[in-house]
Order: sequence, then C-alpha cells, then structure tokens
Amino acid sequence: MRTIANDPVEAVLAVGLKDLWYPICPSEFVAERPVSLRRLGRKFVIWRETSGKLHALEDHCPHRGAPLSMGMALGDRIACGYHGVQVRFDGVVTSVPGSPGCKLEGAKATRSFHVQEACGAIFLYNSSVDVDQPPPLRLPEELTSDEFSNFLCYAEWKGGYRYVTDNVMDPMHGTFLHKQSHSMAEGDNTATFRVRETDIGFVFEKEGQRDVNFDWTEWADTDLHWMRLAIPYPKTGGPGGSFFIIGSYTPISENVSAVFFWRCRKLSGWQRDTWRFLYRNRLEARHWAVLEQDRVVLEVMEPDANQREMLYQHDMGIVRWRRHMRNLAKEQLAKEEATEQVKA
Amino acid sequence: MNEIKQDIYLNPHQARRRPPTQYEDLLGDSIERAFGAGIHDLSELVAYLNRTGPGCPLNEGIWTETLYQEEIARLAA
Ligand code: FES
Ligand SMILES: [Fe+2]
Repeated sequence: MRTIANDPVEAVLAVGLKDLWYPICPSEFVAERPVSLRRLGRKFVIWRETSGKLHALEDHCPHRGAPLSMGMALGDRIACGYHGVQVRFDGVVTSVPGSPGCKLEGAKATRSFHVQEACGAIFLYNSSVDVDQPPPLRLPEELTSDEFSNFLCYAEWKGGYRYVTDNVMDPMHGTFLHKQSHSMAEGDNTATFRVRETDIGFVFEKEGQRDVNFDWTEWADTDLHWMRLAIPYPKTGGPGGSFFIIGSYTPISENVSAVFFWRCRKLSGWQRDTWRFLYRNRLEARHWAVLEQDRVVLEVMEPDANQREMLYQHDMGIVRWRRHMRNLAKEQLAKEEATEQVKA
Repeated sequence: MNEIKQDIYLNPHQARRRPPTQYEDLLGDSIERAFGAGIHDLSELVAYLNRTGPGCPLNEGIWTETLYQEEIARLAA
C-alpha cells in the first residue's frame, strides 16, 4: 500500500493542488438551502442569496465547529444552527447573539472561497490562503464559443481523481474497452504515440491516425486543469463532425472523485437543435453506457494498482502528466515552506 | 435533475426533464435513419420525414422547413 504520510508530494496531490479552479458540482445541486460538499480535503458550505448569487465558506463554524450548512442562510451570511453565530460570505463573524460585543464579533474567523457558475457547473477557487481576487476562470472554447453547444454529464466515481485522468490520458483503451460502443469501433489497435507541447499543456496523440477513434487527448492548465478529446460520431449522428469532450476531475475523498464531462458539438441552427434533441432522446444514454465501461474498470482497480505497473509506449502520456503534477506539487510545497519561514 | 443521492451520484439522464414521448422516439428514429442514409440538407430531411413519419404535430401532419425548425427548436430548448 501507499504510505501517504511519508510522502509530502503524495499528500499534496491526494487532496488536489491549491490555487486552482475546480468544478465542484452541477449548478442544480445548490438551490435555496445551504449545501455541504466534501471536496479537496475539506468540507464546504455553498449557498445562494435569493438573487442566485453564490457563496462558499469552509463548512465549520468558528465557535465550536458545527457544520454551518446545518444553519440558516440570511442573504450574504449564515446563522449557525447550534448557537446562532452569524458568519458572512467573507468569513467575518457579524453577530454572536449569545454574547453580544464579544471578541469574535468582527473577526475574520472562517475560510472563505470564491465560487463561479459556468456551463451548468459551480467552480470553486481552491486558494491556499483567502484572496480578494482569484484569477479569471478560463474555459476552453468548446465551452465558451457560440459556435459550440454542450451538455454537462456529472458523475461520482469510486476511484481517485488521478485514476480518472490516467484513463483519459490513455486514448488506446477506446479501441479495446469501447470496441462495442456506438462511436469507437474503428481504427487500428496498434499505434505509436507522441507528446506535443502546447502553451497551456500538452497533447498526447497517435501518429498517422486522426478522427477515426479516440486518437488524441489534451491536458491543459488555465488555472483550472482540464482535458480535451474528440471522438468521431457515426453517420447517424448527423453533420457536425467529431464531438468533443471536455473533462475536469475533482477529489471528493481519497478514493472518490467528482467527474465532469461536457459533451460538445460544433453546430448551429436546426442542426444544433437536432443534435440537442437527439442527445436528450437517445445519445445521452449511449454516451453514458460508454462512460460506465470506464467507471467499472476504474472502480475494480485496487487503490494502489498504480504502484505496480509495467508501462509501455502507449502510456507515455500518463508518465508525462504524472511527472508534471509531481513538479507542481513540489513547487507548492516549496512556496508553503517559504511562507512558513517568513512567518517564523 | 433527480434528487442528490446520499451515496454517490450516478444519474444516466441529466439532460432530459421528463421521459420521452412515443412521438419523440419515432422522430428520433426517423432523423437517425435519415442521417444514416447521408441526408444532411434541411429540405431532404423534411422530405424524408414526410415520407416516413412521424407526422408534424403542428400542421395536420405535413412537415415544412419552417415547421421543422420551429418544432426541433422547441424540442431542443
Ligand atoms: S458552533 Fe456554531 S454557533 Fe456555536
Ligand atoms: Fe473510456
């Protein structure tokens, strides 16, 4: 088994790197009542003002630690259900009803987090310390351009989020695991891969085969880690060429992940509407069946399967990505150490 | 969307708000068959639907390009 306690890099990666945006749940998960979500190594309480404006705090009352999510939302603040202490969206305690005027009033006593909504999901900036202004949320064009249409598919899988990335960083599994699927029956089952660097990450792609099967995958960092890939639709999918998948994965706990896949297509007018109709009516179910094949494999793998591997050329992308993540984790640790020293 | 499950969230239908009607299933079948036959133009698609059904619900069964666009926009919304 992995010995996390002895490996600080592993400990950093297990809960997700800091100072990044992460999708944390579909928009619909948060309605009028405060919602508690375990993500990224802590619990968050998320709630909305009546205007729909979102707020997020650590789900921990500064008084005695009851979950704030058990309390009541009062616009931009939450009143804890245990003793009524009120905490504002910025983490400042605005009222201590049981002991008015006490020192806790006016103190910044709870971690606060920036949240933003886009493409059917709520994104949270996982800052290492509270910040006034997070970097902008930068999403790929498949999710922001009017030329594309998209649907979010959200699922929770019993596997670490890095297993989910490994799976997406491994295009060759499409040819085998998804052989029977509606869109991945074609193409060679041997291939040579190469890594191509981009400004924001890298592309892992087959040499000499494009738009036939799941032939390439991209990893990108825009203060949000996301992945992109394209899979050709069969003829019955109509005009519009390959459909794109944008993926982003967030740790819930060590062996459970929040998995976000946006299915996107470059279409307009009646063709876009027809795809959206077909997606609802039948394609979503077919896509789901393909994704279930991935989930099942992932969930039956032992949590320490990645400690006993014999990788070959098709796994180059995984190796490249893991090395990159370890480097980012080391940078984060160095930064934390530097701040500690300044404080000391 | 369904209620949040206590355990983990696995909901195969997140895009639809209700089960499809029989008419929608038939329309989906027809459109897929048309696409499969290489029909990509709106006019050809409309002609195909008028040949194979289902009929247009807006106009005593007859599809026109305008009515198809109207109806599919409604179904896509
Ligand atoms: S624990 Fe929240 S008010 Fe006491
Ligand atoms: Fe897969």
